[in-house]
Amino acid sequence: MSDREVLAARSIVKRFGAVTALDGVSFELRAGEVHALCGENGAGKSTLIKLLSGVHPHGSYEGDILVDGRRVEFRSTRDAERAGIAIIHQELALFPDMTVGENLFLGAFPQRFGRIDWDRVYAQSSATLADCGIQLDPATRVGDLGIGQQQLVEIARAIARKPKVLVLDEPTAALSRNEIDALLAQLRTLRERGVACVFISHKLDEVFAIADRITVLRDGSAQGTLDAAGTDADEIIRRMVGRRIEDHYPRRQSTPGRTLLALRGVDVDPPNAGGLALHGIDLDARAGEVLGIGGLMGAGRTELLLHLMGLWGRRRAGTVELDGQPFTAADPRAALARGLAIVTEDRKRYGLVLPQGVTFNVSLSSLKSLRRGVFVDRDGEVARTKSIVEELRIKAQSLEQPVGTLSGGNQQKVVLGKMLLTQPKVLLLDEPTRGIDVGAKLEVYELINRLTAAGQAIVLVSSELGELMGMSDRIVMLCEGRIGGTFERSAATQERLLAAAMGRLGRAA
Amino acid sequence: MNRFASRELSMLVALVAIWAFFAWQEPVFLSARNLSLLSVELAVTAVLALGMLVVLLPGQIDLSAGSGVGLAGAVAAVLVFWHDVPAPVALLVATLGAVLVWSAMGALIAIERIPAFIMTLGGLLVFRGLHWLVIENQTVPVVEGGSQNVYSQLTTYYLPDAGGYVLAGLAVAAIVASTLAARKRRQSHGFPVDDGELTFLKLFVLAQLVFLVVIVTSGYRGVPIALVILGLVAVLVHQLVTNTPFGRYLYAIGGNEEAAVVSGVPVRNTIIGAYALMGGIVALTGFMQTAYSGASTSTVGSLMELDAVAACVIGGTSLRGGRGTVLGVLFGALIMASLLNGMTLMAVSPEAKYIARGIVLALAVWLDLRLGKGR
Repeated sequence: MSDREVLAARSIVKRFGAVTALDGVSFELRAGEVHALCGENGAGKSTLIKLLSGVHPHGSYEGDILVDGRRVEFRSTRDAERAGIAIIHQELALFPDMTVGENLFLGAFPQRFGRIDWDRVYAQSSATLADCGIQLDPATRVGDLGIGQQQLVEIARAIARKPKVLVLDEPTAALSRNEIDALLAQLRTLRERGVACVFISHKLDEVFAIADRITVLRDGSAQGTLDAAGTDADEIIRRMVGRRIEDHYPRRQSTPGRTLLALRGVDVDPPNAGGLALHGIDLDARAGEVLGIGGLMGAGRTELLLHLMGLWGRRRAGTVELDGQPFTAADPRAALARGLAIVTEDRKRYGLVLPQGVTFNVSLSSLKSLRRGVFVDRDGEVARTKSIVEELRIKAQSLEQPVGTLSGGNQQKVVLGKMLLTQPKVLLLDEPTRGIDVGAKLEVYELINRLTAAGQAIVLVSSELGELMGMSDRIVMLCEGRIGGTFERSAATQERLLAAAMGRLGRAA
Repeated sequence: MNRFASRELSMLVALVAIWAFFAWQEPVFLSARNLSLLSVELAVTAVLALGMLVVLLPGQIDLSAGSGVGLAGAVAAVLVFWHDVPAPVALLVATLGAVLVWSAMGALIAIERIPAFIMTLGGLLVFRGLHWLVIENQTVPVVEGGSQNVYSQLTTYYLPDAGGYVLAGLAVAAIVASTLAARKRRQSHGFPVDDGELTFLKLFVLAQLVFLVVIVTSGYRGVPIALVILGLVAVLVHQLVTNTPFGRYLYAIGGNEEAAVVSGVPVRNTIIGAYALMGGIVALTGFMQTAYSGASTSTVGSLMELDAVAACVIGGTSLRGGRGTVLGVLFGALIMASLLNGMTLMAVSPEAKYIARGIVLALAVWLDLRLGKGR
């Protein structure tokens, strides 16, 4: 790292209507450093990088942006790209029906006599991928890749343009442990080449694994820039939330009751031939208990939950019992009717009707029980929604506010509220804290405590080992569709869980 | 909020401009007789458009509606005129048939995942062919010359003046009561409501409009029964889409089908139900439109599906589903019916009429996209 400043923002003020998103933020990025931006959702991280990458054009904000010490006025993202700033957004911007190579070169195809030179496209793609340490055939259709691999393709695409500055907005949210390691290694290589990186992540262990310096944002203002070597996670969190969080995972164990969900030797065939299948799954979730399910990307965690809800695969063998009764759901409607509910990983896609209001969304799964004659019982509906909003502390201007305009944490709470209103016996949570801020995370954990105390069983899928170990009473690690190991909370260590996830428990333990 | 206001205002301006233009070109446009005819034409267009709304809300479409209108009217006319079946029985048989056929189309769309566009485009061709087969390319009156039956009276019966006023009074009373009750309930939940004066003003204008319709139509023969049918269908569809679980499911499927599935919404049955309802409405529209023509001919119902879609879109219904209201659709239907009626009065050639309808349809969708951008 040198002290040469490649990109800087000076006293930036950005307003959206009456809301001030950034209030006099200054930020500087030096050549060859990885600079982490930390802050809760809504702290202004995304707004800041949108300014730096030209999404919000010059003139829509106050203050100056400098590249290599010179004032710049980005009118569009193209201007920023020309200045050497590449950005990888949270949402992937790849074309699933095109190949990896086509995606890498889209918009900049090498040509010969006006025709695309396909040989060169694939030769250069292979070189770029190899350069990034990604083992992929550039002729693979992107839609056939897992999310983690798609993310790597996205990064390769950005790197292929040889940027001076690479901005990564939550790049690891969908990645498994070893994919994250590959990504971080990639960032270190870039750092050695003198590329400056802005790295946004909610996961502080990653931040400390990679960042040279850390800038914390809170409520649109900078809370200081720290050398990573001279600080720790508690300090960062304290600055992020303005209060000290003593216990990140406040699990309060309750005495487990009868078994509510039991799987014995369950084999499931995938809907697409040749896809991942589940083999010999045994697990129990008891009343008052959190059963954690972990595993690497593609281990079959989400597929298992979706299968239980009747959304994925066909069961070939084995039995499932829900509260002592044999259970097979044809669709989520049937599962919900039996007391099995799910909060899916992708809340915008599978959880919410974005243009509709809070009440509409919260009551959607319970309309059958909210009827007066043939009509929806409006009074009852509003009353129940109100109690959910209060219980989960959903922050909305009104019960009619479209959920698309709520923050990530509040959207997640709406999905949770919708499922709670169905009064499930067993609640399946797939990555319930992904992409939500620290405060909302804590509230989700507290909610898990309350639900288990009230006698519900929770099945918690998470790719964060800390969360799994912190919140589960027992942990099942999946590995390529099989059980890699089952652990009591007391016996779980990061090393053992990871070994189980990688199918080498015998050797490691 | 602003976007909605600007949209409603621009539609109102468009309506006033259309009426002013026709009144200037053909003063007879504003005559009691023509307005009475316009109200019957509105009823036919709007009833079909309300059915289309129910299909569009979950993100589907029905292109076969127009030929379905022709076929249902033809089946009933043939039963009455050639086979001496009593009119009520003929109407019932044709209605049941339509509900069955549309349910089947809905099942193919929802379960077999045939895109609605293709399924109903196929329906359009099949029903058109069946329509012409059924009437053997002749003109089949809905009733023996000089007499009347339930079928013919759908568009020729008018309420006596007293009946019209009593009905208008009841309608206004019902609207006032339900508006005030809804307002009170919103207040008790702590939701924002219009202030009292604005509420009063809105109701007052609405009441005046209702009575104006009665006064104007009584200047010709009275309130057309077709208009009463429209009123009933509108109330029914409004209640259905806003206040029943079925209606919520329509909006949920159109807003986000994947989320609806995970939320336990019975997606297949809801879509099949929407098409079944459409079948019933297509039959009803078919009877009204055929009765209005006096007989089933090969052109009855032609292109009506596009008028219905245009009415929905003009009224703020999203073609992608998830957005749309009954009131908006009624308004859109009034614009479409006024355009068609005015052009007929001005003796616009059929060629020019086709061109005008096409432009209005494209314009309405373009406007929908433009105004929908802010979301």
